[in-house]
Amino acid sequence: MTDAAPEIFVALEQSSFAAAVRQSLWLYPAANVGHIVALTFFAGAVAVMDVRLLGGLAATSPAFLLARARSFAVAALAGMAVTGCVLFSAEASHIALNPAFQLKAALVAAGLINVAIYEFWAKRTVERLVPGATMPARAKVAGVLSLGIWVAVAACGRSIAYF
Amino acid sequence: MIRCVILFCAFALLTSAALGHHGWGSYDASKPVTVTGPIVTAKFENPHATITVRGNDKVWTVTLAPPSRMSSRGATEKIVAVGQNVSAYGYPSTVEKDEMRAERITVNGKTYEMR
Repeated sequence: MTDAAPEIFVALEQSSFAAAVRQSLWLYPAANVGHIVALTFFAGAVAVMDVRLLGGLAATSPAFLLARARSFAVAALAGMAVTGCVLFSAEASHIALNPAFQLKAALVAAGLINVAIYEFWAKRTVERLVPGATMPARAKVAGVLSLGIWVAVAACGRSIAYF
Repeated sequence: MIRCVILFCAFALLTSAALGHHGWGSYDASKPVTVTGPIVTAKFENPHATITVRGNDKVWTVTLAPPSRMSSRGATEKIVAVGQNVSAYGYPSTVEKDEMRAERITVNGKTYEMR
C-alpha cells in the first residue's frame, strides 16, 4: 500500500472487501479471468457496431444489427466494470497512481463520451437507414474513434502490470 | 481505418516496451542477489505473496508468486510464515527501493520455484 495515493483509494484497499479479495485463493484469479472473458464479448460486439458504422456489413439493417450488438456490449461492459472493481480494490492505492491505469481510465471516459455523442447526434439518423445506404460522416467518425479508443483501452489495461 | 490500425500498433509496441512494477521487466536480471535470513512479515495474498526478510545488510521486501501457484508447488502459507529462515534468489527492483522479485526460495533445505 502507498500513502501517496488519495485517501479514498487507501481506504478502499484497507476495506474488508479488498482484504477478502486478496486473501481468497480463487477470487482474484476468477475476477481476472472474468474480466478477460467479458472483454472478448465486448470487443466482438463493439467491432460489429463499428464495422457497421464504417459501412461494412452493408446488407444488414443498421437499426437491427446495432440494437442486437448493443445489448451484448452493455452486458459485457457491466461484467468488465464488476470484475474490474474487484481487481482494482485489491491494490487500489498502487493502481490509482499507475500511469497505464490513469491513461486507461481517461480512455474509458473518452469512449463513453463518444458513445454519448453518437447516441445524441447520429443514432436517430443511422437507425433510419435502409440496408445498403451510405453512412453519414458523423457515424463513420464515431466508428473510427470507438475502434481506436477501445483497442487502446485494452492495451492500457494489459500494460498496468508493466508500469 | 488502416492508418488507425498502424497508429495503434505503434502505440502498443511503445507501451509494451516500457518496464514496470509487476512484470519481470522492472527487475534487473543482470544483478541477481541472494537474501538469506528470517522472515519478518508475510502476506500470503493475491496478486503476489510478499515477505520481508532481514538480510545481512538490510530488510528486503521479497515479491513471490501468486498464492495459488505457490500452494500447488508446496510453498504454502506455513512455509513462508514469519520466523522461518529463508534464502531467496532473485533480482533487485529498478523501481522500488530494497525490493526484489524471487526466482526461487529455499526453506528448510527445500527449494521452490516461483516463476
